[in-house]
Amino acid sequence: MAAEAHAAPVHHPTSTGTDNRKLLMWLFLASECLFFGTLISAFLVFKARMAVPPFPHKREITESLYSTLPEKIQEQCATQLANGLRECHGILDIPITSTSTFVLLGSSLAMVLAVYGAQHGRPGMMKAWILITALLGLTFLGFQVYEFRTFGSEGLNLATNQFGASFFVLTGFHGTHVGVGVVYLLSLLAASFRRNGLGPEAGFHVETAGLYWHFVDIVWIVIFTVIYLIPS
Amino acid sequence: MATAAGTLPQYGTHSGLWSWITTVDHKRIGTMYLVTAFTFFIVGGIEALLIRSQLAVPNGTVIDAELYNQLFSMHALTMIFLAVMPMAAAFFNWMIPLMIGARDVAFPRMNALSYWLYLFGALLLTSSFFFTAPNSGWFAYAPLTEVQYGASQAMDFYALGLLMLGVSSMAASLNFAVTIINMRAPGMTMMRLPVFVWMTLIIAFLLFLALPPLTVGLLELLFDRNFETHFFIPDGGGDPILWQHLFWVFGHPEVYILILPPMGIISEVIPTFSRKPLFGYSAMVFAGIAIGFMSWAVWSHHMFTTGLNPVPRAIFAANTMLIGVPTGIKIFNWLGTMYGGNIKFNTAMLFAVSFIPLFTIGGISGVMHSSPPIDTHHQDTYFVVAHLHYVLVAGAIMGMFAGLYYWFPKMTGRLLNEGLGKWNFWLMFVGVNVTFFPMHFLGVAGMPRRIYTYADGMAWGFWNMTATIGSFTLALGILFFIINVFVTLRKEPNAGDNPWDAPTLEWATSSPPPEHDFDVVPAVRARDPLWYDRDHGIAPAPPTDEPIHMPPPSYYPILLGIGALMLALGPLSSMAVTALGVPVILYSVWGWALEPTH
Amino acid sequence: MTTEHHEAGAHEGLGPRQYVTIFAILTIVTAVELALSYSHIGAVLIPLLLVLSAFKFVVVVAYFMHLRFEPRILNRLFAGGFALASLVLLALISLFWNDLTHPLG
Repeated sequence: MAAEAHAAPVHHPTSTGTDNRKLLMWLFLASECLFFGTLISAFLVFKARMAVPPFPHKREITESLYSTLPEKIQEQCATQLANGLRECHGILDIPITSTSTFVLLGSSLAMVLAVYGAQHGRPGMMKAWILITALLGLTFLGFQVYEFRTFGSEGLNLATNQFGASFFVLTGFHGTHVGVGVVYLLSLLAASFRRNGLGPEAGFHVETAGLYWHFVDIVWIVIFTVIYLIPS
Repeated sequence: MATAAGTLPQYGTHSGLWSWITTVDHKRIGTMYLVTAFTFFIVGGIEALLIRSQLAVPNGTVIDAELYNQLFSMHALTMIFLAVMPMAAAFFNWMIPLMIGARDVAFPRMNALSYWLYLFGALLLTSSFFFTAPNSGWFAYAPLTEVQYGASQAMDFYALGLLMLGVSSMAASLNFAVTIINMRAPGMTMMRLPVFVWMTLIIAFLLFLALPPLTVGLLELLFDRNFETHFFIPDGGGDPILWQHLFWVFGHPEVYILILPPMGIISEVIPTFSRKPLFGYSAMVFAGIAIGFMSWAVWSHHMFTTGLNPVPRAIFAANTMLIGVPTGIKIFNWLGTMYGGNIKFNTAMLFAVSFIPLFTIGGISGVMHSSPPIDTHHQDTYFVVAHLHYVLVAGAIMGMFAGLYYWFPKMTGRLLNEGLGKWNFWLMFVGVNVTFFPMHFLGVAGMPRRIYTYADGMAWGFWNMTATIGSFTLALGILFFIINVFVTLRKEPNAGDNPWDAPTLEWATSSPPPEHDFDVVPAVRARDPLWYDRDHGIAPAPPTDEPIHMPPPSYYPILLGIGALMLALGPLSSMAVTALGVPVILYSVWGWALEPTH
Repeated sequence: MTTEHHEAGAHEGLGPRQYVTIFAILTIVTAVELALSYSHIGAVLIPLLLVLSAFKFVVVVAYFMHLRFEPRILNRLFAGGFALASLVLLALISLFWNDLTHPLG
């Protein structure tokens, strides 16, 4: 059983040697690549066509456009430039989002440590790190909620402009996936407190949850680069 | 081959409604899919007959314009999502585990869940007729689907219904992909798999990769309609063409998802009744894989008239022409199988063989569309309607009927009546040609699709009347099938394990199989294992004392399906329903996870 | 609870220390990306950011998700799906390329 050191005992032999459930999770993640890839593509298509503030990054608009804007949004474009254009400040808060990105990255570290604990017969370590992963995930969600509310108060919502629509849909569905992940992890944690914990396949169950969790993290890696770091 | 008597439980000992509601047995789930799919096939057929009645004469007065729009939209949605795909799923469910020598699929409860999601999604979509059914065509081009063009919830039914059905297909496709990759009997290597199994594997991959872009499109449509976004509304920066891309990135692989399973079916039927192995097995497999890959590279051929730039147009045109090549390889291989064979033209074989020329006709009109300048004349005319019905009705449906006649004895232990079968076949064969061939003429004569009537002086009346007569002929043929089923089911089971002397593993067990499929999991030594064993005098292995564990029944799949339905109903009624659906889902998922599986 | 311990020196023996190291690398790369986004290095910024993100993506998939040590079939299936996704979406984006490079006509 040397080669199966990390894998939990498999129910019955499979044609490839990989457990059915693990294969299922990887194929599902492949489909999720398409899901988030499509959302990101739609975001990019509209990113190039932004005409009306609020904008994600700093951008100039004409005076005539400025005059058509509602007051709340005009506040973002208060700066007048020498060439007669107005400068709108970008609505994205890079420092804050960098922090939340760091938090999510840290949650991936916590997750691998939880998996390590589960696979090496250390339930205490497993439980602690599952909890920490979930808490970090909730922290990330907290940042998202803060960001959404801040944007809302500055006049950016789903209906405002194309950036609003594609931004909230993309990050909203990502956040939903994080939320589902948190529920998944907390469910595992709760189950681990039963008499025989997560059973003989504990390592496997936590590893599978880890696959999902890391995937949600790497989607964020792409989203963070595409939305926040790459300028318009 | 005799099965062990007495000790092992036989299929059908569990009876009663609850046993069906909680079943996780792939054979029962397959039966449920088949019955439901056939019912919706009739529904879609009635929608078609209403359409044909309205179009039979100029200035028709059978249906008004409003209802007509709903009928042609729902006819397509019903046939594609509620009839053809689930019929294929019925065969996957029934036959895939048997053909690979497994006792069930990889995830039996998820298998049941796929069925319940399909049933509830189908009911949701069809119930829209009580209000306003989707009326913007099955591909629902924006911005006509947006709220400013219609006050009804028709397109919300569309989006929510398809989302539910999409989840059903996602679950099923993942399940079958894992099953085929991971649960083959010892000796069943990938290149010994029956072609039907290969086609199933390919479309499983197509499904779980192609559905997400559609999901994104549907979600964005829902957001446009309910949350005031402007993804597809030009007046706000949106782009209706984006919808078309998102839809067709799914939509094109979808049509291959519709046709590859029937191609797989006839790849089983033709060798069996030619008494010869399939010609060019490897080419068949690789052609199928090639079609799967290339189906991703042709989607914009549905958009040639939307103002694409010349370079993309040329690329999509070239790819569309190229995809005819692997398809052609399959056609020649079926012919090569029959050549020199000892052919038996029973009903199953008639349906299978007729697929070849009929699908070819559809393929020819398809390749004609692949040229953008020619397609400019075809777009939105009856020429396209002719093409798609040739490939889907004269092709896919005929292939499905071949499967029905071929596998009916395995599923029920009884052979369908051949006399009634011949009436069934010939009426359908005449029917599809008389209905759909004239549509080529109507198309080049300029008749647009989706019009609810036409004026007297258009000179379209003759071929429309012909097509209508054909459609009723087709319906009559299907009626013969229904009669055949009822007549046959009243007889005693007498088919035996392998009435066709067929080569694949599903015929190595009783008809119908016991709950555990095989008393002994067969050892596979070659492709066409039963012919190999027969020709080498190898007797089936005797049953052992080894205990067989089958997964116990469960009510969590149907409960989860109900929870999903509640989520979908909220936006159509009150969000309180969605909110109540969440605890139902959580309860189902937790119960499912904690339930013992043996 | 599984009592199987991997043999010392087995290639799959990634321990907490290695994981923390990988995490540190990911953090540093993220910090570099941040710094670059504030800098004014012109048009090379976008490809550079994409390359760095791709690097992080691959590292998480290969090590945190363990794909590097999994059977070949799994690697190929995921890589295949991912490649297909990338190609299709690249094609989709390039169909809008004119709009991306010349917005608003």
